[in-house]
Amino acid sequence: MNNRILGILAIVIIIAAAFVALWQFNVFAPAPSAEARKIKIGIVAGMQTVEGKDIDRAASLAIDEINAQGGVWVEEWHTKVLIDPILVDTVDDGAGSTAGPVTRAIKDDQVDVLIGGATTGGTLNGQIPAINDRVPFIITGASLNLVTRRGSLPVDNPLRINDTVGMSYMFHYCTTISDYSQTVAHFLADSVKPKLDSEYSFDSSRKLRLAVLHRDDGYGRGVRDVTSTIIANDNLPIEVVATAAYAPTATTYQPQLITIKDSNPDAVYIAGFTADTAEIIKEGINDVGLKSLYIAVEICEDPQFYTLLGATGDKQILESKIATQWQGNTWYLPQVGTYVESYKQKYNGIVPGMLGADTYDAVYITKNAIERAGTLNKEKVRDALETTDMPQSLLIMENQRITFSTGTNYHEILPKTFIEQLIWNSAAGELKPSVVYPTSMPGISSFKQSDFVLPSGYEPGSP
Amino acid sequence: MITPAGLAEAVLWGVANGCIYILLATGLNVIFGVMKLVNFAHGQLLMAGAFIAYETTKLTGLNPYLSILVSMGSVALIGIALEKFAFRRVRGTEKLNEIFISLGLIYLFENLATLLWEPNYNIQIESPLAELNLTIGGVLIDYDRLLAMVIVVVILVALVLLTKKTKIGLAMRATSQKSEASMLMGINIGKVYIFTFAVGAALAGAAGALYGILFNFNPLIGALPTIKAFAIIILGGLGSIPGAVIGGLLYGIAENTAVYLLGGIWQDAIAFALLIVVLIIRPTGLFGEKGD
Repeated sequence: MNNRILGILAIVIIIAAAFVALWQFNVFAPAPSAEARKIKIGIVAGMQTVEGKDIDRAASLAIDEINAQGGVWVEEWHTKVLIDPILVDTVDDGAGSTAGPVTRAIKDDQVDVLIGGATTGGTLNGQIPAINDRVPFIITGASLNLVTRRGSLPVDNPLRINDTVGMSYMFHYCTTISDYSQTVAHFLADSVKPKLDSEYSFDSSRKLRLAVLHRDDGYGRGVRDVTSTIIANDNLPIEVVATAAYAPTATTYQPQLITIKDSNPDAVYIAGFTADTAEIIKEGINDVGLKSLYIAVEICEDPQFYTLLGATGDKQILESKIATQWQGNTWYLPQVGTYVESYKQKYNGIVPGMLGADTYDAVYITKNAIERAGTLNKEKVRDALETTDMPQSLLIMENQRITFSTGTNYHEILPKTFIEQLIWNSAAGELKPSVVYPTSMPGISSFKQSDFVLPSGYEPGSP
Repeated sequence: MITPAGLAEAVLWGVANGCIYILLATGLNVIFGVMKLVNFAHGQLLMAGAFIAYETTKLTGLNPYLSILVSMGSVALIGIALEKFAFRRVRGTEKLNEIFISLGLIYLFENLATLLWEPNYNIQIESPLAELNLTIGGVLIDYDRLLAMVIVVVILVALVLLTKKTKIGLAMRATSQKSEASMLMGINIGKVYIFTFAVGAALAGAAGALYGILFNFNPLIGALPTIKAFAIIILGGLGSIPGAVIGGLLYGIAENTAVYLLGGIWQDAIAFALLIVVLIIRPTGLFGEKGD
């Protein structure tokens, strides 16, 4: 009797084990659909620009990683499919160069999702075909939040888009001028002003004297205006003593620097691109004699900025969102270290830039959304993107999660930025960054690497 | 706040910047004066000059100011090749052919440079004088710009001596006045054209090397200097070397002081307004003569 029960039990266990094993090997899963095809992701990158090349490289790195793991699971096809990157070359990513390539990618290549875009001007035009054809577009550049807020512009504004549904396909995975001006203004108030007060025995009621030198375009003027707004709204002890603009085509900035020098500032906030910012700092210190503290913004987080600036950049300031040239025994976020090392390994030692990091994350955000949507149906992918809730990756987020809901329904993220001080290593002949602000970041308890110091030869503004 | 010292500095820097435009415009003018050829790719020769000087300095450790000579020689050779294999082929045909060849050369040069170097990756020639400057009566200027002015003066003096005191210079002047008559007098105008293009290109090469010492540059920098050089030769008078010198100085000063007095957004507007005013008052430019 016992033997019989034991025998039956053994048979049941064997059958159950076999069933589990077969289930485990997907024997009972539906066969992959005949409709299964590769996912086409359009990478919007101006290949005539360094930023565009960075975007393309970073996207290719992420896609190769995903494809090496078998691809993206698409539920409705019951299979994993590979990603096929479609390069949408917007040449210089200027305002006149983007709409054509994006249209071709949508109409001819039939892309499922678009990722990329560097300049605001280029993206504002390049996003129109995507809005019209309802193609999800994760914009990983463009520092003006206009790219997601065109529906809220005044009715007579030519940039306004009335297509609310079309605009809902736009997602902005990038820091904006507001994000980084916030960090810069608070750094000046929290770190630079106390340093000046103690070093030069200034009265604590004395406001920090700030000059803003900016490109004469939407981005530069935006930084200038938003900085003044933040100072006023947050009641910061900062006085903007001079603002000066320069044409984007300018090659020398001496007249503006003379004007700024005459206003006796404590610090100069530069809203420029890599090459012009480096030139401004060099001309200011070496040629005009404006021995001040210069603050560059995150677009300058690029190897060429460090090279162009050289020793002149010692102790100058760079606002950033990803420290690709992090100096430390362990990376502040392990995934940043992995990304930088993989990038360098794949691209012959090239150090990644800033916009590529956004793009790398955006590819994984797309994978996540498609897997949750279970389909490549654009509307469903859009819905899935809208409900994205992933752990932060390369960019640091306020709540350590990637979400596209800021409470204002604009499909924007909540990133955190930080301040690096550039240190010249004369032995190595290299300029390297060191984080000086803030002390900690979400999920990173000890982030700050050194205390802020004034550059040698620094001359403060008038008392 | 506008101060006399600030204004003087803006003017002085305007002169220094103008010097680079003078070299470029003079090269363009020499070619136009003798060959009646409008080369829209002249700014790309400046770009080539900047890269040649940069690579020479980097690879050999040569002083950047000596690399100007290498740049001049190399760009002169490029000029000879252009004249021989491109422009000569369409000489005597419709002017439009020359124009389209020069427009095509812009893309050829830019794409070639983009293949050799990163697209808009900016670099600068490291000058040993980079951090040195001089104060004269409260006016500050750096040694690099002072030296650039001196070099431009030396090159222009050499050019004047070449055209006034040498046989080939005489042939150039004769060809510029009446090419057919010059030919009848036994001048080999084919050789004169090659030499003229080489001289014009060498001047662009020198301008490029100086540009690379003073500013950062990339493969796409050529377009704007070309436009400015054209504005200068129109301002000074087509074909006139003194016109290019005065035009270049006026343009540089107007550009820089406009920024100082009125703000950065006026940089190009004031300089081109000056051009329009001069053309209204004197349609042939400051030193131009009425054409045939």
